[in-house]
Amino acid sequence: MSASTHSPVLKHHFEDLNQQHASERLGMWMFLATEVLFFGGLFGAYACYRLWYAAEFEFASSFMNVKFASINTVFLVTSSLTMTLAIRCAKLGDKAGIYRNLLLTFALGSAFMVLKGFEYAEDFHEGILPGASSFGVTDLKHNIKTDAEHAGLDTGKVRLFLCFYYIMTGIHGVHIIIGLGCILWLVQQNYANALPPDNYSTVEVVSLYWHLVDAIWLFLMPMLYLAGAHIKHVGH
Amino acid sequence: MNSLPPLIPVAASTLAYQFEYLFWYITIVTALGGLAVYAALLYFCIAYRRGNTTGSTPRILGSTKLELAWTIIPTIIFFSFFFWGMWVYTKAVHPPQDAMEIFVIGKQWMWKAQYPNGQRVIIGGNPRNMTEAERNSIGKLVLPINRPVRITMISEDVIHDFGVPAFRMKMDVLPGRYTTAWYHPTKTGEFHIFCDQYCGTWHSLMVGKINVVGEQEFDEWLGGMGSQQGTEQPVDGSLAFKGRQLFLKLQCIKCHSADAKAAAPVLEGLYGTRVPLKGGGGEFADPEYIKQSILKPRLKVAQGWEPIMPSYEGQVTPDDLDALVAYIRSLKRGTTPNWTERMNPPVGAPTVRSEKKE
Amino acid sequence: MTTAVTTATPKIVPPPPEPAPAEPNYLNINYSLWGWLTTVDHKRIGILYLISITVFFLAGGIAAGIVRLNLLAPDGAIINEDAYNRAFTAHGVLMLFFFLIPAVPAVLGNFLIPMMIGAKDLAFPKLNLASWYVFMIGAGFGVWAILAGGIDTGWTLYPPYSSRSSQSNVVPGVFGVFISGFSSIMTGLNIMVTVHKMRAPGMTWGRLPLFVWSLYATSLIQLLGTPVVAITTLLLMVERVAGIGIFDPLIGGDPVLFQHLFWFYSHPAVYIMILPGMGVVSEVLTCFSRKNIFGYHAVAWSSMGIAVVGFMLWAHHMFVAGISYYSALLFSFLSMLVAVPSAIKVFNWTGTLYKGSITFQAPMLFALGFVVLFVIGGLTGLFLATLGTDIHLHDTYFVVAHFHFVMVGGMVLGYMAGIHFWWPKMTGRMYSDWWSRVAAAIIIVGFFLTFVPQFIMGYHGMPRRYPNYPQEFQVYNVMSTAGASILGLGYLLPSIYLTLSLFFGKKATGNPWSATGLEWASPSPPPPFNFDEAHMPVVVCGPYEYALGIDQMGRGLPEGPGLGTANDPSSKHDESSAPGPMNKETEVVG
Repeated sequence: MSASTHSPVLKHHFEDLNQQHASERLGMWMFLATEVLFFGGLFGAYACYRLWYAAEFEFASSFMNVKFASINTVFLVTSSLTMTLAIRCAKLGDKAGIYRNLLLTFALGSAFMVLKGFEYAEDFHEGILPGASSFGVTDLKHNIKTDAEHAGLDTGKVRLFLCFYYIMTGIHGVHIIIGLGCILWLVQQNYANALPPDNYSTVEVVSLYWHLVDAIWLFLMPMLYLAGAHIKHVGH
Repeated sequence: MNSLPPLIPVAASTLAYQFEYLFWYITIVTALGGLAVYAALLYFCIAYRRGNTTGSTPRILGSTKLELAWTIIPTIIFFSFFFWGMWVYTKAVHPPQDAMEIFVIGKQWMWKAQYPNGQRVIIGGNPRNMTEAERNSIGKLVLPINRPVRITMISEDVIHDFGVPAFRMKMDVLPGRYTTAWYHPTKTGEFHIFCDQYCGTWHSLMVGKINVVGEQEFDEWLGGMGSQQGTEQPVDGSLAFKGRQLFLKLQCIKCHSADAKAAAPVLEGLYGTRVPLKGGGGEFADPEYIKQSILKPRLKVAQGWEPIMPSYEGQVTPDDLDALVAYIRSLKRGTTPNWTERMNPPVGAPTVRSEKKE
Repeated sequence: MTTAVTTATPKIVPPPPEPAPAEPNYLNINYSLWGWLTTVDHKRIGILYLISITVFFLAGGIAAGIVRLNLLAPDGAIINEDAYNRAFTAHGVLMLFFFLIPAVPAVLGNFLIPMMIGAKDLAFPKLNLASWYVFMIGAGFGVWAILAGGIDTGWTLYPPYSSRSSQSNVVPGVFGVFISGFSSIMTGLNIMVTVHKMRAPGMTWGRLPLFVWSLYATSLIQLLGTPVVAITTLLLMVERVAGIGIFDPLIGGDPVLFQHLFWFYSHPAVYIMILPGMGVVSEVLTCFSRKNIFGYHAVAWSSMGIAVVGFMLWAHHMFVAGISYYSALLFSFLSMLVAVPSAIKVFNWTGTLYKGSITFQAPMLFALGFVVLFVIGGLTGLFLATLGTDIHLHDTYFVVAHFHFVMVGGMVLGYMAGIHFWWPKMTGRMYSDWWSRVAAAIIIVGFFLTFVPQFIMGYHGMPRRYPNYPQEFQVYNVMSTAGASILGLGYLLPSIYLTLSLFFGKKATGNPWSATGLEWASPSPPPPFNFDEAHMPVVVCGPYEYALGIDQMGRGLPEGPGLGTANDPSSKHDESSAPGPMNKETEVVG
């Protein structure tokens, strides 16, 4: 094959577009496997402690803001929908549609992060923190550690749950931000006309990542927020 | 430099022997297998070197029979290692019910052991890192021969490991959780204790000695009377140690100071000897006599001494008396402590150190 | 059951003419530093890695020298305890993360995989370049941590010491390891996708060179294992920096959990380190004995078996760490299983030599050295997999000797074999045959002297990571240090003659070893896209058809090393066997 018959989106080291797209897809699936193992370590560690310290973990989980988490879940799942629609638009060559759906996805993902920010702020004010101190905040609504003591539970293990909460949601948040960056990159690629129908796989590949981040949230949310949902107490 | 140690290191426990049989079985089998491979390699390299061949070779792709053979046979051999190893391991981690229990605490960078009777000893460690009191109590982990002992361990800080090569046993020592190891010593002698999990700067100084002694010697030591440690003092936590503290606190040391100007007879080596009494006769220095001397000292005064010892009746409990007896029993020549501590004297005791006139 | 050879053999084609030197080739297409730093050519990236890891190997070697020198005296000969702890940690971290793990995959794998499968480049060339930068950034943090005073936790980083107690540069060092792990993932991903999707026409899975199989298996481990150490090191850093952590016993955390997570990666990691070396050995042994590999499928599947089973063994590093009795049984049992594919490989390699026609140039000496030393390394692993013996041998020099036998005696020798085998292809130059053989011999002898005494003193109980040790171990330590100096000398030699070869070495032909792989079908050094784009390779047969005298494209082989080919009238020749495979007796081993 000669250079003149190359599609402009074909990269030179590939023989043809099929090979290129197949490679890109396989590469992204392999990357998703690494993400599963990355979070898997965290989930595995959490599972151990969840089994050993069920009472403390459920108690601590009952202080989590289920409302915020539910709204965030809606945001993320919807963003996966809009991301998939972006693929469809790319397949059909609907450049405006690609913009629309990508930007909607971006907006929903950002809304997730914003709500997360509010949630962390509220956690801070409520003293739902993993450290031994409360950072000198004195007007706490209640202190989860003293509440735990009153309930006859081990404060340390309650703090352990909170370590997991912040680390897991924090790392997940970092992945959302990376995903948002990738979406912006797609917007730029669209602007540069690099997403014609015979290169829609680029959008597909980013959407695979986005779906995984969404899927991880779908596991994270019940684990952290619903473990203590059966415990009713004042405050939340 | 020393000459080479013997091939097989000292095997001082039942587990050590079990280990050795297994170890040498694996060594012999793997050595045979390895040598067989080496022999084949060597032979092929020589027989089929280029200078010895035509340069053209047969097209051999393999042999399923051989593949099966050299898959199945090694698997069986390896599983034999596994099963024998499992047998030894099962023995190693299941202490007998009647094992004496010793508690060991690992901390950077020393070991603290406590015996069932409360006796404590510090093993090894970095002398630079210890308090004066700790340094004085550095000793050895004394164990009786032929009696199973279980060590229950925990760490005060980071992960350590209590390892005894002569017993072929080691176990990590964790913070927040107890682990156990057990030994059945079969040889007397001194054996290394190593910390076998890296724990920081002085990890290599967190070493000490196990001292396996005969039954009787162990019992004596447990009572605080043996001197298996580096010092001659009774071991911290023992009855004799408590007695020593009382001896100093009650200011017995003021008169029984074992120096030339002492106002009272020296007590070193007194126990079990015959004490000539003032006024004739003698008394055997047993616990009865010693207790009586403390409670009613003017009844039987030692010959050559004045009846000036005050009575401690009402100031010592029966337990205190036992401790003092244990201490006096443990007092060896030259081990009377120096009187350096300043404490309020008990009621009735002389406040000025009397000079004995020659 | 016999192994019959019944497929029709391809029509014989005489050896192709020596390919014209590539003008330009991948080395001289530009001479600018910028050109090198922005390259997306997998061959240049391989060279970038080669230079980097050589530097780290030197640094790690210096650290080893400091360690061994200090051990000459029972109370530390040259440095204090704190410095010693930092020295052995630096040695471990540098050698494992910044030399061994990238060595064959990132240097030889990057360079050769596309060529071996007949592709123009890896699947993701920019990702490949990014992987080198990520590696260098990670290494930068690691080196910074060392230069700023070092870390003293041991490369295994166990908390609570590393999270709470250590007063050293834990976070930069661990961060360096964390970052460079991503490079490992990228390389693994790249290689796997390339092997799946970019093989030349006719290159079926059953015709892949075993080096590619080994690297595929390695990449699988890199891909799936490294993320776990990534999260583990991240959690450790969070605990150390923020004081909140899931391994802290004071709040109910379990430091043994760290060990599980850490070893879940670090055990398969050792297979990342050894499998590529095994792949090199398969390539070299076949070429220098002029024979097919004995049991191609067995060897290929063994690589995959090691990779998969290797994920199930991690807690054999933790038999005395406080795991349950039943866990210990399980992991010991599984550890026995992984020894089997390794044994299979050794037997198959030995069988490859049978009735071969063997020459002993440096690549072959290194490859044979690998087999000899790996046998000892692997067999001593059995002592450690066996529960009853591991209790005593754990954390002693027996373990140190075991892993050095497999990692240095195995992997480093495999790396040397690969470098010496493919040097002509990479650089277009031949090196001194005599000096390379001498170096191989010195390295093998020096290695023995260094590490055999360590088995003995480990068996006698000498613990690891001890700058102070009882007097009775001194004689072994001195022997080991003496051996290390010989080993060091041995490593010095290639750095000299290989460098000299770049300027004074004989220009290499396209296929100086007369090997069958596709990588040898191009000129030395190769052009930027590996092959003449109008004539990309088409594969017609399996690798290693030395007995038939053809390469993977069915063309004949040029004059080989030693006394020439069967067709060469000057070789010692058995006239009764007619040349050519059509009439050749194919010996069948029942």
